[in-house]
Amino acid sequence: MEEQACPRCKTTKYRNPSLKLMVNVCGHTLCESCVDMLFLKGSGACPECMVPLRRNNFRVQLFEDPMVEKEVDIRRRILRDYNKREEDFATLEEYNDYLEEIEDIVYNLCNNIEIIETNKRIEAYKRDNREVIQRNKTRVGRDECALEELLELERVQDESRKKELDELETEHKKKKARDKQALIEELMYSGKDAATIVSEFAEKAEKQREEEKQLPPPKSIKEFSTGIKFGQTADPNLQPVPKSDEGPLFVYEPLIPYTDGPTPPPASDVETVGYIAHIRPETPQENAGGFTSALACHRALQEALQCLYYTPTTGVGVAL
Amino acid sequence: MYPFSSQKRSWTFANEAQLQAFRVEQNTKYINEHESEAASYDSLDKFFLTPAEERLLLKQYEIYLVDFCRRFDPPMPKCVIGTAFHYFKRFYLNNTPMDYHPKEILATCVFVSCKVEEFNVSINQFVNNIKGDRNKATDIVLSNELLLIGQLNYYLTIHNPYRPVEGFLIDIKTRSNMQNPNRLRPQIDSFIDLTFFTDACLLHTPSQIGLAAVLHAASKEQENLDSYVTDLLFVSAREKLPGLIDAVRKIRMLVKNYQPPDREKVKFIEKKLDKCRNQNNNPDSELYKERLRRLYTDEDDMPGEDAKFHIADVSSDTSAMNISQ
Repeated sequence: MEEQACPRCKTTKYRNPSLKLMVNVCGHTLCESCVDMLFLKGSGACPECMVPLRRNNFRVQLFEDPMVEKEVDIRRRILRDYNKREEDFATLEEYNDYLEEIEDIVYNLCNNIEIIETNKRIEAYKRDNREVIQRNKTRVGRDECALEELLELERVQDESRKKELDELETEHKKKKARDKQALIEELMYSGKDAATIVSEFAEKAEKQREEEKQLPPPKSIKEFSTGIKFGQTADPNLQPVPKSDEGPLFVYEPLIPYTDGPTPPPASDVETVGYIAHIRPETPQENAGGFTSALACHRALQEALQCLYYTPTTGVGVAL
Repeated sequence: MYPFSSQKRSWTFANEAQLQAFRVEQNTKYINEHESEAASYDSLDKFFLTPAEERLLLKQYEIYLVDFCRRFDPPMPKCVIGTAFHYFKRFYLNNTPMDYHPKEILATCVFVSCKVEEFNVSINQFVNNIKGDRNKATDIVLSNELLLIGQLNYYLTIHNPYRPVEGFLIDIKTRSNMQNPNRLRPQIDSFIDLTFFTDACLLHTPSQIGLAAVLHAASKEQENLDSYVTDLLFVSAREKLPGLIDAVRKIRMLVKNYQPPDREKVKFIEKKLDKCRNQNNNPDSELYKERLRRLYTDEDDMPGEDAKFHIADVSSDTSAMNISQ
């Protein structure tokens, strides 16, 4: 990459290998900073061939030879429209003719031969085969997505594998440190012979190394992090209904208060009969907590009448 | 609510005889265990407390409890006092004062009831109201707390007669045509205070005690609320009326028959208690300190038989916790 120099500033390329060369539709290259400068001045023309250009027509160059770059560009553009496949043709001959036609067009456009003619041919073709083109376009879209998913899956697997290895590394290191510490402590405090202690520890270390030879297998990942499953067959809007084990349903049973005394007036009576007149109104703080003076009044009446009928039976005692 | 409460289920008894039986049982159990200590005395009764003496002692300490609560700073609501009384009575139904000194249990009862009735005081604020060594009091209260709760069988919710009394007053004001029922209040309050010195709370329901208080106050004010009771309360259940009348009568009898204990006798009993009490639980005794020492020092740190240094005392040995008289 270092041999190539930007035609404008020439020197900049050698000094800064990370600087990218951009290429435009006419095939001429310009380094990134030159592109910026060119469009800063407002003019939009290629410095070599004076073809009018737009900023977004510049793509990062992939190939060293600008001609190749140009051809790849043209081919991509053409193939977007000429997207029939082998199945669409009755015989192999027709398919081959079709392919040859594509090559002719690309060659012409690339080498600036009969451009106008070629463009007309393209237009004609496009008009004639509009539906087929549309249908093929959507089909291609799906294939591309499948490919993308496979790539994504591989990437995620790689990442998780890497993470596991990292974790194993740190575990391993920690273990080593701990073992060393334990060895030192043993040597310091235990009464055994130093040689025996060291040999014990060496044996333990050997055993551990044997175990670690086996790596745990990577976990197979079935879905993206958002929970959407791989594969286009699962419509993300139609998740399976989660099954939850519910147990017996709650059935409302009204609470029957047991008074063992005269029945207290119902809560509605508290205000109407006038009990509430004899009790202080609630403070704003109490009201904010949900208490009303009617509640307190009703409760006092209830408690006054509870278990008035109680008579001691055998009496329960607590034996501790 | 009270009909479903643990108080009704397991802490309400049939009659005084049953309560007395519990207390006597605890007393004899203690005496049987510690018989050996009375070797030098001719009769067990001269060394150990009799059940009657225990009753007198507890009565005196109940008076101390009320005083302590009345002088409490910040001012203590009545329900806390009621709850503390319940705890005190229940505890000594299943324990004897010789095992656990009433002084200590008194403070612990008040402390636990402050917590339960949501009258929150910190332990420091609490011991500020106790005369004597504060640290020692703190230790005593905190170490007895769990014991007390356990002996109550962890039933800590108490229904006091105060809310039923309020309910009755509201009802009287609304439905009967008595003049100014509020003048009954001081009499009601003093009656309920007196019931707490008796065993009424272990035998009757709080609403019955409340009604007894109201009726007593009314009779003191030369009013007659019998018509209120028969016509308005028991209009639909005449057959239950005799049971209630009986209960109210019993409660009033209990209050009438209450006599504060004789000071001299109590002093004598306290001296006796000092000798016969269970030294394991006496924070002033050597036995107790030894036990704590063994409990708190780590076995590994004890260097063996030849100890060349002294382990510091766990509890400070100053004057006993004094409660004003």
